[in-house]
Amino acid sequence: MSSSTRDQVMRHLKAVVEIQPPVQQTGKAPYASDITHELFRAYTRTPHDVGGEVDVPVEWTEEEAEAWGYRAYVTTECLAWRGVWCAEERRRMQNVDMGTTQYLGLPYYGRWLLSAARVMVDKDIVTLTELINKIDEVKKRHEPAR
Amino acid sequence: MSQHDRTHHAKIATGKGDPQCFKGTAGGPPKFKVGDRVRIKDLPDIFYTRCQVYTRGAIGEVAVVTHESPAPEDEAWGHVDHSEWFYIIRFKQKDLWPEYPDNFANDTLQTEFSERWLEAV
Repeated sequence: MSSSTRDQVMRHLKAVVEIQPPVQQTGKAPYASDITHELFRAYTRTPHDVGGEVDVPVEWTEEEAEAWGYRAYVTTECLAWRGVWCAEERRRMQNVDMGTTQYLGLPYYGRWLLSAARVMVDKDIVTLTELINKIDEVKKRHEPAR
Repeated sequence: MSQHDRTHHAKIATGKGDPQCFKGTAGGPPKFKVGDRVRIKDLPDIFYTRCQVYTRGAIGEVAVVTHESPAPEDEAWGHVDHSEWFYIIRFKQKDLWPEYPDNFANDTLQTEFSERWLEAV
């Protein structure tokens, strides 16, 4: 049983590479008969579980901390102190729920910030309409005067 | 806001820390001890887990019995009523990666699991 699990795991890691990134695949929304168990597992793989995926070496660079990143972090901690979420809920929302494209494509603290907005909408702290209107108001404030 | 003013982590953990605040909540002693050989179960992995898929089906040994805490699969939706023991498991790299070079046969990798993912070998 174990060796067949190991075979499955190794095939799974190859299948994951073949579907990435799914936005580049032709033929959207396939028939169910096109999706094998192996493909289903590859598509539903949680984005943060990257171990074993083929990739190029990452160049290690030191990044300077930015003020907005600290503010994003403090915002998420305040939400935890008020009982809106715990660290594991936050990790789910910022590392998994947003999907592979956003997980790999956005800056680290960008995902913290986006998940903070998401949890406030999900848990009725603000409505999406209120959030949209607020973002629009702030955006206009920062637009150059015409 | 009142609906989220449950007995949440911030209240449970204040003055104690997390996971220390869950000490004694697993309902019994740990099932495995340091040195035990265990196999990682291949449970479904949709929505959320911290059990890396590359470890599924592999055999490792208990390096440390660490702490008690709700499992990530529960805690990720705020459920903290049930706790489990957590373990650091040590694998031989060769047991995880078939192509791992023979001249590094002693290399190991350690990672953490909650008890539900482990079965005795």
